[in-house]
Amino acid sequence: MNTRFSMVLVGVNTERAGALAQAAERELRACEQLMSRFDVESQVFDLNRRFAEEPVEPSAELWRILALCGDYWRRTGGAFDITLWPLNRLWRGQLSRGEEPTEAALQQALDRTGFHHLHFDETARTVRVERRGMSLDLGGFGKGYALERLADGLRVAGVERAFLSFGESSVTVLGSHPHGPAWPVGVSNIFPPHEPVHTFLLQDASLSTSGTAPYNAAGGPRFLGQIIHPRSGRPIKGYRTLSVASPSGIEAEVLSTALLITPEQDRADILSGFAVVSAVEIVYDSDAGRFAPKIAWKFGL
Amino acid sequence: MEGRADRREFLKRLAVVAGSSALIAELPWWSPLRAEPVTEAASDRVRLGLVGTGTRGNLHISHLLRTPGVEIAALCDDYEPHLQASLARVKGAKGFSDFRQMLDMPGLDGVLIATPLYQHARMCLDAFSAGKHVFCEKSLAYTIEECQAIADTYRDTKRVFQIGHQRLFSPTFLRALELVRNGAIGQITQIRAYWHRNNNWRNPISDPSLDRRLNWRLYRDYSCGLMTELASHHMQVANWFLGAHPVSCVGYGSINYWKDGRDVYDNVNVVYRYADGTHVVYDSLTSNKFYGMEVQVMGPKGLIEAEAGRLYAEAPPPAPGIVQLINSIEHGFFDTVPIGGPSWVPDLKRDTKGVALVQEKSMDDGTGISLAAFANAIRLGEPVPGMMEQACRSGVSVLMGQTAMEQQREIAWPEGFRI
Repeated sequence: MNTRFSMVLVGVNTERAGALAQAAERELRACEQLMSRFDVESQVFDLNRRFAEEPVEPSAELWRILALCGDYWRRTGGAFDITLWPLNRLWRGQLSRGEEPTEAALQQALDRTGFHHLHFDETARTVRVERRGMSLDLGGFGKGYALERLADGLRVAGVERAFLSFGESSVTVLGSHPHGPAWPVGVSNIFPPHEPVHTFLLQDASLSTSGTAPYNAAGGPRFLGQIIHPRSGRPIKGYRTLSVASPSGIEAEVLSTALLITPEQDRADILSGFAVVSAVEIVYDSDAGRFAPKIAWKFGL
Repeated sequence: MEGRADRREFLKRLAVVAGSSALIAELPWWSPLRAEPVTEAASDRVRLGLVGTGTRGNLHISHLLRTPGVEIAALCDDYEPHLQASLARVKGAKGFSDFRQMLDMPGLDGVLIATPLYQHARMCLDAFSAGKHVFCEKSLAYTIEECQAIADTYRDTKRVFQIGHQRLFSPTFLRALELVRNGAIGQITQIRAYWHRNNNWRNPISDPSLDRRLNWRLYRDYSCGLMTELASHHMQVANWFLGAHPVSCVGYGSINYWKDGRDVYDNVNVVYRYADGTHVVYDSLTSNKFYGMEVQVMGPKGLIEAEAGRLYAEAPPPAPGIVQLINSIEHGFFDTVPIGGPSWVPDLKRDTKGVALVQEKSMDDGTGISLAAFANAIRLGEPVPGMMEQACRSGVSVLMGQTAMEQQREIAWPEGFRI
């Protein structure tokens, strides 16, 4: 998933924690085997390679995941879409060369995106796409999915308090902080001094943040974090993050991306179809070159 | 173009830095920079003479013209066109074609030596015996015996001596050293340095008879070529970071491309061995410039490219928020975990940028700062500790490498060498 994973377990002795960490690593590798679009051994890699040529029969688990992604695609009015890779790749390549893509290239990439181009044969349990060049990307969804699987595993193992984080953008907690009623998780200013702008109090819940950021970890310009609008095919402008807390790791992940690209007036509509969530959008306004965070939108708080 | 006032302001800020950094306090050659800022008063003025008005000499002139409290009182060169051109740049400077005559000039505090390598020792010794403070360009001298003679003479002079290894004064290199000392890369297990160019390394000349004089770097009678003129910088850095001199070295050199009458190698490969088992691998060539120049300090936890000023950690750093969270749990605090943001993404080897060592690259590579330090040391009348050691270690190291290549055998650090 091209990021780092951190796990903090409370009230577990070192030996047991070591075993749980190993189990977590096995679980994460299994998720990669299932959903990575970069691993030539993974199921998604195989699907991407073949599904424009012939109907492909995914494993039962991947079938369930794809059905779930379709469900979220519909429930978010198309804002959550796992088929945007051709657009992401186009913008990443162009922007790293300091150029905008041509209209023709943009149109070509747009033609190769859209979940509605995926066809599911319920009887044969196969998937195919009607256009060559299409490619699924389960990166964001995969983090939420993996976090739910890991959290379930820890609960079964009897762990009561834990803090799991994928690259700091996706967090799942079990129970509460040992010295308080919940886990206080702050959404940080993406610019120095990186202080928390809003703090969520999480208890047996997940928090996911999507957004644009000025830099990658190495201090270079960041293209991996571009959020592409599925209809315009263009990256959203400016610096913004949208964080969603939810009892479900997957839904936090789905909604943080979907709400970010959905106009404010349409967000309540989407949210009415989901379990209790809270959300915060932070927008960075530039004043003489300095970016200041501002809470632009809140829900359920 | 930056003027003297800007440089004064810059040096004032530097003095604050020099006074506050724990590491800088350990580097004695920085101490003159902590001195009170100089004024325009005549009593604060340091009068310098410069010998060798070629490319390097002219760069020094540019820096000295902007250094507060410095007067370039005299210029010396036995090549008349260079001397005249430099005199035209410096108002009021007296011109000399003979170095000893310049030394006799009344009121001269110190000299800067930017002449061909083979002249360094004679000029250093003459300057010391004339009671002058000395700034000598690298590499220290043409032979190990000469290095020893300079060190011996210096020991009794109580004069200021400084060597033209500007990396000793480069904020980027200081930061690199600080990171190494703080364990950012773990133990240093290897230093790899290289200096690659793709040109004939010649100065254009109007008359073939001037070739050996103006292209002295290409002739063994005057220089050791790539080793003394380029490698000495990186050997200085290696010895500095390792806190030691090499115990021995082996190497090969040849002329495999520029067969144009030069008699110094156009490519060199030398491996140095240190007492603790660390090796410094050095190579330099003049027929491909793709990799440019770099000194890579490697350890189990990371690699520092000191020229580029970047650190490449082997393992991704722990998430800062997670570290804070663990700390709060262990200490019984209930604090916000500052964590949520767009996803952290690792550096990939193919496009990794590393982490910058300093936010802004300094206005110069250390040369300007080193000249200001020289002037301040003269003003304070205090020798700069550690400088001769730096000069001798690098100067001797490159001569060992040269000898190893020429004699095709392992060469040991000269026994009994005394700094």
